[in-house]
Amino acid sequence: MTALHADQLIDGYLARLRVAAADLPSSVREELIDDMRAHIAEARAREPEETDATILNILDRLGDPEMLVAEARQRPAPVPSRQSSAWPGLYQSGILEIGALVLLPFLWVIGVILLWVSPAWKTRDKVIGSIFSLGGYPGIFIIGGAFGHRLIGVTSGGSCTSSTDSAGNVTQACTSMPAWEVIGLILSVALVVIVWLLPVITSVYLALRLRGGRRAQGAIALTEAGST
Amino acid sequence: MALIRETPRYAYELIEALGKTGLLTTEGTLYPLLSRLRRDGLVKTEWRESTDGPPRRYYELTAEGRRALTAFKNEWTSFRGAVDGILQEGTKS
Repeated sequence: MTALHADQLIDGYLARLRVAAADLPSSVREELIDDMRAHIAEARAREPEETDATILNILDRLGDPEMLVAEARQRPAPVPSRQSSAWPGLYQSGILEIGALVLLPFLWVIGVILLWVSPAWKTRDKVIGSIFSLGGYPGIFIIGGAFGHRLIGVTSGGSCTSSTDSAGNVTQACTSMPAWEVIGLILSVALVVIVWLLPVITSVYLALRLRGGRRAQGAIALTEAGST
Repeated sequence: MALIRETPRYAYELIEALGKTGLLTTEGTLYPLLSRLRRDGLVKTEWRESTDGPPRRYYELTAEGRRALTAFKNEWTSFRGAVDGILQEGTKS
């Protein structure tokens, strides 16, 4: 009895190993394959009689190529592969993020969709971005249309008269304007300013978080490479 | 690593030795392990001619490997002592 398919079986095994190890650094992969080849040769030399079955047993005892590769992968990765351009986990932000940032104040719905589609922000920042952009400027007009009248109502309590003196200076004299109305007026002006700035502030905030996120992800990629 | 403390051995020898103890079920996994030890500088390798076939890669402990082995032995001894202690507590009560 001889092993009619010995070479085929061994080549098949090594080919599976090569495929499974495709993502390993080539030095690690080649060493693994060389080791397996040497091992198989040693094992064959020890068999008193070689059949296809003995070859299959040798390969079985070696273990699944996928498992060996998993074992080899538990560790990294010599230094050069860490510097490779394709860092897993490092997301390069691009047109999607810029689109989200620009559209958020103006076409809020599209901006929010882009914001949530992009993997460049954490969920917390997406929630903040969606809420504090206040529906963008279209949204602010709608909110203003609904609530603006009340604010105006509050601030028109006092009666003011404007007069122009001979030098052309305008003086405004307000009568019987209660203190709470003054506070209300200041608050409503501040509110309007904040409301008008918020979408822009939100975009700026998201832009900053975007950069931070990229740094953080880069750091994670490095830690993974270092610790696995 | 203890198997190559005294004398360098080649991988197949190690596999045979481990096989006898029943510690190694899939022989292939030893190779990634050896290669890792080598990259970590705990073992060094050397090719040697063999009388009955192609050259073999021999594995040998480095000084650092020796230190790591001693450290592991100490840790293992105290770990084993602790586990034994707990198991004996369990049988007593």
